[in-house]
Amino acid sequence: MIVLVGLNHKTAPLAVRERLFAGCQGEVNLLAELLVIDGVREILHLSTCNRVELVASVDETSAAVEAIKSFLAKYGSLSNDEAASCLYGYRDDEAIKHLFRVTSSLDSLVMGEAQILGQVKDAYRQALALNATGIALNRLMHRAFRTAKRVRTETGIAANPVSVSFAAVELAKKIFGTLFGKKILIIGAGEMAELTCTHLIGNGAEDIIVANRSLAQAELLAEKYHGRAIGLPALDEALCDADIVISSTGAPSYIVTQDMVRHCLRKRKNRLLFLVDIAVPRDIDPAADSIENVYLYNIDNLQDIVDENVKNRRREALKAEEIIKEEVAQYANWLKELKAVPTIVSLRGKAEGIVSAELEKARNWMGNLENTDREKVEALVNSIVNKILHAPVAVMKEESVEFNSKDIVAAARQLFRLDD
Amino acid sequence: MTSLEISFFVLALTCCALATTGYLLSLLVKKIVLAKGSTWILAGGALFLTFNLLLGAANSSGWVNFGSRHFLSIYAWTIAGIYLGLQFKTKTRLLGAFIAPIILLFLIAAAGQESDKNLVPPQWQGWLTTFHLVLAIAGEALFVLASAAGAMFMIQNNLLKNKKPGKMGRLLPSLSDLDWINHLGLLWGFPLLTLGMIGGAVYAAFVWGGFWPADPKVIWSFAIWMVYGFLLHQRLAIGWKGSRMAALSCLAFLLFLLSALVIRYCFSTVHNFI
Repeated sequence: MIVLVGLNHKTAPLAVRERLFAGCQGEVNLLAELLVIDGVREILHLSTCNRVELVASVDETSAAVEAIKSFLAKYGSLSNDEAASCLYGYRDDEAIKHLFRVTSSLDSLVMGEAQILGQVKDAYRQALALNATGIALNRLMHRAFRTAKRVRTETGIAANPVSVSFAAVELAKKIFGTLFGKKILIIGAGEMAELTCTHLIGNGAEDIIVANRSLAQAELLAEKYHGRAIGLPALDEALCDADIVISSTGAPSYIVTQDMVRHCLRKRKNRLLFLVDIAVPRDIDPAADSIENVYLYNIDNLQDIVDENVKNRRREALKAEEIIKEEVAQYANWLKELKAVPTIVSLRGKAEGIVSAELEKARNWMGNLENTDREKVEALVNSIVNKILHAPVAVMKEESVEFNSKDIVAAARQLFRLDD
Repeated sequence: MTSLEISFFVLALTCCALATTGYLLSLLVKKIVLAKGSTWILAGGALFLTFNLLLGAANSSGWVNFGSRHFLSIYAWTIAGIYLGLQFKTKTRLLGAFIAPIILLFLIAAAGQESDKNLVPPQWQGWLTTFHLVLAIAGEALFVLASAAGAMFMIQNNLLKNKKPGKMGRLLPSLSDLDWINHLGLLWGFPLLTLGMIGGAVYAAFVWGGFWPADPKVIWSFAIWMVYGFLLHQRLAIGWKGSRMAALSCLAFLLFLLSALVIRYCFSTVHNFI
């Protein structure tokens, strides 16, 4: 049975998550200690800033979930109330589904973000290194990665940017094609402007000009991006040079007027100009947008795009849920089949034992046969045994998927005297 | 026309129809992968058309059997060739949604022509005519491409200006790439058409003894040549770019189309094979 116990950003406040995160991180032998718990066969520990979760393969008892819960409560120093309200415990299909949703980034704070897959992979790698996983979890994790990949390629859940800075980068690409060799002008300084600038550089933009009322501050930022600093009086000239302008000053009135843009456009021979105004109040005169070949986006325009993309992701998430449903069913079937596996293995083992013993007995008279004939006899015997075993094996597998296979497995063990 | 030639032509036509459908579907369902596939199908179509034309050239001696069908096919082939060539340089797969239907129309028109009717009178046939025709066709094909890029630029520009790029904006090529194709089309199309027209004029001077035969096609072509010349001048000397260029290219193309249709159906001209 697969179980999943833990807490995430939806069930636990940051303070609780922090405590549990720190408690689990501090413990080197966490997995080893968990494996000691009665009934726990395999275990994996996933810990990110938004969640701490333990995935385990356990014996068919309900005690394991409670044991793991109290284990977590102890490590996170959670009070009884906190443990009751923050910790969740899923079993069987619910647990598998939750893990697949987490890995596919459906359960993330920013739905569709790519980091979580890497974090789950790291967690699995750690568990593998400590030999904490076995047949059930290995298969489960591979299925989870497969599901995440399917969700990523078959749905548009990660297709469009859901942050303002990435939305600006995407727009820049739609205007300029490639951003290689493009010049960026940053007016003022601000976290968002810097973030956008970093993303633009990450996509190939090279030349950075930083304009600020205080030249000293401009120089500070310019140094960071290996660009050059200018004062506001030199803004006109810089506008003629730049392809992308990001403005975020605290100025009360427009810093870039329509006339400035019109004038610079003539000088730059109408080369396309992308203006991003993320300041409130605005820095760039909205009338500049009416000029040909100028594309002016303010913070609201960018936010609208982001909102639209978030809506799209939610729509795509519905498709993703379908994929997850399919994958959960497949894994759950496999897991059920697994219950019959030990019996099938011993049945086959017994049959093979009989075959080799009988062939050994017949070795004397078979010695008179040609090599090829002897091989044919051996193949014949094996084929007969396989044919006889085929039906009981298939029925045990089917029964274990459709019903609880306990009865039929017990019958098989008795009929073939597998426990003798 | 041999049966092998016909087979190649039919294959080319089928590929082109498939590619057109694929491109338009790609616009409809907003999936770029369809446009990518269609580009390969179009390339296949261009290859079949190449075989068809080569066989046609091999089977005829000089211009003897060249008729409207061949000219229209060569038009289609040139447009496809230039478009596909550009695909190595830019990611403008979706431009095919505008180009492929034009190629398809040329091929359908070609299919409707009497295949072996010779429309260039034997006494006119010669290397100067070939020079004139090949360059004029190449020049016009480049203008078609420039205008298609211009039309797509206007759509993308509209989406970006209205702050609603959405799925369509994401699908269409970037403004810079489209503007570059428009630039390239004018830059190369104009000199080619100029040379082609000079070739025609020199030929006319030899045969008819005057550079300026009062032929409607010639007069219209000259007018269009002037329009495109004006566009190129504005682009290179004045620095017009982007949306204004795009809009004017579309207008010039409509004029070009109109003139071609009017001349074809309303006037008698020595250029009656196009």
